[in-house]
Amino acid sequence: MDRLLIMLLLGISCKAALAHQPVVDMAPRWNGGYGFQTRVEHANSDTITWLEGVYTFKPAVRMTLKIPFTDDGLGSSIFAMPLKRYKNAAQYTSNWGLTPSVRVPTGGGSDWDGGLSLSYSAESVDVYQLYDLHVLGDRRGLDINVGTVHSDGRGSAWFTLWDITAVDSDSGQRVLTGPVLVYFKRNIAARLEYKLAAYDRDDEWSGNYLSFTLGIVY
Amino acid sequence: MKNLTVSVCLSMLLATTASAQNYIVNVHGMVCELCSLGVAKNIRKLSFVDAAEYDDGVKVDIQNQMVFVAVRDDASLDRQALFGAIEDGGYSPVDIWRVTDSGERLELQ
Repeated sequence: MDRLLIMLLLGISCKAALAHQPVVDMAPRWNGGYGFQTRVEHANSDTITWLEGVYTFKPAVRMTLKIPFTDDGLGSSIFAMPLKRYKNAAQYTSNWGLTPSVRVPTGGGSDWDGGLSLSYSAESVDVYQLYDLHVLGDRRGLDINVGTVHSDGRGSAWFTLWDITAVDSDSGQRVLTGPVLVYFKRNIAARLEYKLAAYDRDDEWSGNYLSFTLGIVY
Repeated sequence: MKNLTVSVCLSMLLATTASAQNYIVNVHGMVCELCSLGVAKNIRKLSFVDAAEYDDGVKVDIQNQMVFVAVRDDASLDRQALFGAIEDGGYSPVDIWRVTDSGERLELQ
């Protein structure tokens, strides 16, 4: 319980990368596991630093909190509860996820937003894939990550993925796509992604997207 | 078959270098080392594990979805506790073998 309180006090992260959950979408999946990550996003000439945390009650039930910081100060935080149903097979693992969320006006204002995500993820020793259909407030989106895994068998691995993010909101539509690199060693993970605006008819969006994430799990 | 051959050879090699009782568990779904950290973490908490062997008593092989566990000579394997630790780590233990001093694998029923 102390860990949970500390996590809540420290806070967490996510806006453009709405669908992703700490830590790097993967860990921890064990009972009582917890982790933190910092995500720095640059888009629309703005930089947002997210502090994110996760606590895993059991593999099927997690709790995440994402708190954004901008040049203007604290933004609206997102609290979510990923619920996962795992299937463990001989050569792969997969899960369906249902993630209710709420955006809390911690940066001011009084608007609360509800959200929901439906995801499917599968992973083998060599291949990783994630599909996430989500809605939060006026935003609806689809996020796809597919790619290969290169493990050294000694506790570290590279993921080379391709990301496609499609978003529809009151301000318009956009599709961003680009490469993602994920690296972990033991309990430390990093994620770097750069996405081009392949389609942009969004009045509140301009240009490409860059983010870097550094996380740790226990 | 290739994976099985590699696993048997590896287990024989390990058996010749370890003095503790060695067990191998086949774990379904365990294909990522970051995600399987909890498996090793949970197993290390078990009282019968010999921390002097492997990496604090445990070795995870994601290529073959195997967990190698060393048990202290003065202790006995608690199979239910071991399988429970793996399940709490998010994965599904399936089979378990004991590695004899000669390197032979004996499946435990």
